[in-house]
Amino acid sequence: MIEVNALSKHYGTFTAVRTLSFQVGPGEVLGLVGPNGAGKTTTLRCLAGIIPPSSGTLRIAGYDLATEAIAAKRTLAFFPDEPRLFDYLTVRQHLSFVARVYGVRHHEAIAQPLLEEFEIATHADRLPGELSRGMKQKLAIACGLLHGPRVLFFDEPLTGLDPLGIRRMKKSIISRAQAGASIVLSSHLLHLLEEVCTHVLILKRGEKIADGTLAAVAARFSHGERHVNLEEIFLRATEETPQ
Amino acid sequence: MLRALLYLRFMSGKNWLTVRWQRLRQPKYLAGAIVGGAYFYFFFIRSFQGVATPPPLLEAVHSSLPLDVVPMIAAIGSLALLAIVALLWLVPTEPATLGFTEAEIAFLFPAPISRRALIHFRLLSAQLRSLLGAGIMMLFSQRWTFIGGNALTHTIGWWFIFSALNLHFSGAAFTLSRCAALGLGLWRRRLGILITVGTCLGLTCAHLPATEAATALAPANTWPTIIQNALILTETAPLRWLLWPVQRLMGPFFAENAPSFFASLPAALALLTLHYLWVVNSAVAFADTAIEQAQKQGTRHAAWRAGAPLLSDPTRAARPDPFTLAGSGRPEFAFLWKNLLSTWRYFTPRVFGASAALILAGCLWLSRADGAPEQLSVIGVGALIFAGYTLIIGPQFARQDIRQDFAHADILKTYPLSGWQIILGELLTPIILLTSLVWLALLTAACSLPNTAHPQLEISLSLRITGIIAIGLITPALVALQLLVPNAAALVFPSWFHTSRTRGGGPEVIGQRLIFFFAQLLTMTCALLPPLGGGALLIFIWQGLLGLTAAVAIASVFVLAILIGEVAGGIWLLGAQFERVDLSLEIRT
Ligand SMILES: Nc1ncnc2c1ncn2[C@@H]1O[C@H](COP(=O)(O)OP(=O)(O)O)[C@@H](O)[C@H]1O
Ligand SMILES: [Mg+2]
Repeated sequence: MIEVNALSKHYGTFTAVRTLSFQVGPGEVLGLVGPNGAGKTTTLRCLAGIIPPSSGTLRIAGYDLATEAIAAKRTLAFFPDEPRLFDYLTVRQHLSFVARVYGVRHHEAIAQPLLEEFEIATHADRLPGELSRGMKQKLAIACGLLHGPRVLFFDEPLTGLDPLGIRRMKKSIISRAQAGASIVLSSHLLHLLEEVCTHVLILKRGEKIADGTLAAVAARFSHGERHVNLEEIFLRATEETPQ
Repeated sequence: MLRALLYLRFMSGKNWLTVRWQRLRQPKYLAGAIVGGAYFYFFFIRSFQGVATPPPLLEAVHSSLPLDVVPMIAAIGSLALLAIVALLWLVPTEPATLGFTEAEIAFLFPAPISRRALIHFRLLSAQLRSLLGAGIMMLFSQRWTFIGGNALTHTIGWWFIFSALNLHFSGAAFTLSRCAALGLGLWRRRLGILITVGTCLGLTCAHLPATEAATALAPANTWPTIIQNALILTETAPLRWLLWPVQRLMGPFFAENAPSFFASLPAALALLTLHYLWVVNSAVAFADTAIEQAQKQGTRHAAWRAGAPLLSDPTRAARPDPFTLAGSGRPEFAFLWKNLLSTWRYFTPRVFGASAALILAGCLWLSRADGAPEQLSVIGVGALIFAGYTLIIGPQFARQDIRQDFAHADILKTYPLSGWQIILGELLTPIILLTSLVWLALLTAACSLPNTAHPQLEISLSLRITGIIAIGLITPALVALQLLVPNAAALVFPSWFHTSRTRGGGPEVIGQRLIFFFAQLLTMTCALLPPLGGGALLIFIWQGLLGLTAAVAIASVFVLAILIGEVAGGIWLLGAQFERVDLSLEIRT
């Protein structure tokens, strides 16, 4: 569903992502982890078609993002780390707008359960300025899910949510993966990733250090120990090797 | 403490310049800067050095001006300034803010700095900005040689005016906030101000016949005499008292030479100082609550998490849908629907219809009064001028398109739409707004001008109707063409034009408007020449065969077709540019 082949992204002379390749199949949830500035957001923004990659090919649901961008974008949803909302549209109006952009017929029937799932139904006629950060994030997520995307990219989806929100979010991600969606999410909250992801990819300074199923990556960095958690793996994988 | 604030100001300014300087490494920005610089050099700087003689037209205007034109301009200017000040008291609906940025709130408010120092910091920064605006206005006024003075006195003169307005704006806002806290309602306040101004004007009019100036009054039936009488009014108490401070403020600007400039300085300085003290004191009273609130909530982040609107957040009200938006259909209309929600709430078809009806009724009523032809023709010509200005300047103000949405460009890029679809959708709202305005103006002109047609230039009814329909149909295409210019600029140079999205604007925006004014005139000319030439040729060819009316109809269809072609091409190009633009080079979100 998601195929990344030799993706590189340069900002001027600075290389944020270097020849990164990976694949995510249907039903898989890939956790993108790495220290600040590792290139997680850059990778996700390239995958969502927001910024053009400097080189490499990206295929979403079989469509090449460079040549069949519209078909590819119809199947994907991107959730940025900061919810990006129009400050003059109410919650409901956001959903109506997005529904028309994606051509979702009878969107009310889909929107209402979404609003209820994320507990913002009672705020349907409020403007974003009157919502808390967590609610804004929920609204952005509801907007992205409206057209039933099969490929989902989340950039730090769990920051800013309350414990209940985090639990709902995790359930929501897992249930969408079980329904066959391909999901990539980046997060710093490693213990939470552990419960959601089927695969992990560790990035450091734009380069892939390890990827594979959780168990495989754990095995690689565990040095024979048992029950090594993701946080420990992360620290070992990204620690500076003495030169 | 003062040092820290100065350091902040200085380093911010330095980094502001560095970022702009580094941006010039991108070839397109370098090219843009060279073109913009050359433009300013040839139009403004060169005329300073006496290299260029003033354009003949300006020269002719100058020599035809009556000798006492400067007092007249000064009087009109003072009236305008007074009107602006009155609006500053009438309009505000939102509570006053100090205009601190979010970072300043987060860093400075919890810091051990006295409120007064913070307010001084804020106000002095604002006056620095006024200086930049004053410099740009000077480039203009420098060409009005008949006023006298030089570049320096004009800059300082403009600075006095801008600074005082800026301070008055804040002072009024704070005072109004305090009045509101004391329980003065919005409409009661507005009524009170209107009654005060009305009483003042009424007293002046009543007083006028008793003064000696009354002998100079002429029957007010032509525009020059109306203006003349208005000027006499400004010299009559009590209006004269109200205008006195305003005129003192404009003293440095209108000073002819160095002695009169220095003579005018003390009064202007005193006025500015009074304003400054007023703002500081009213702001301190206000800041007590505002700052304490911010402190109580800890950092800005905590306040934000708690869902409290930020100090800088204007509180908007939710609006009903402009029309029902079904889930299926052309996606472009979704942008129309969305952007209509961001406009003024009175831009509705109903208001448009009511205005049209009002214009029709007004013209009908006026045409029955005596002296009608002349007044009507003045109104008609005025309406045409308004229509022209709307076409050329309107695109700078109706920004409900990609310019407003560029901050959301990353989200727009994830939509499954082609670039041209997004551009077209974004353009619909300003096209509709400006077209409605132009149509109303054209309606006014159409209702008021026919009565003055010369008998020998008799225009048949069918021709008139054809002409009106043709112009009405061409209007949206023209408006769209005009809107393409600033949108193209916003897409090619996002880093330059994105900043002007925020309110306030500042000197950069004034400079941009200047360039746009000419760019827009140029586009209009270039885009209109081929179709109009072709249209004229068609009229010439067909009028013998089919008659004038039919020939005009054919020519209009031709003109419209070419214009639509041009607009379509432009939208397609802008769409391609939107798809191409690399956001990571432009804005960092
Ligand atoms: N628009 C940009 N221009 C220049 N450098 C950028 C830009 N965006 C990100 N970077 C740099 O690229 C690197 C990767 O950033 P990012 O992908 O945001 O990291 P992450 O999301 O993993 O924390 C960082 O070093 C950052 O400074
Ligand atoms: Mg990031």
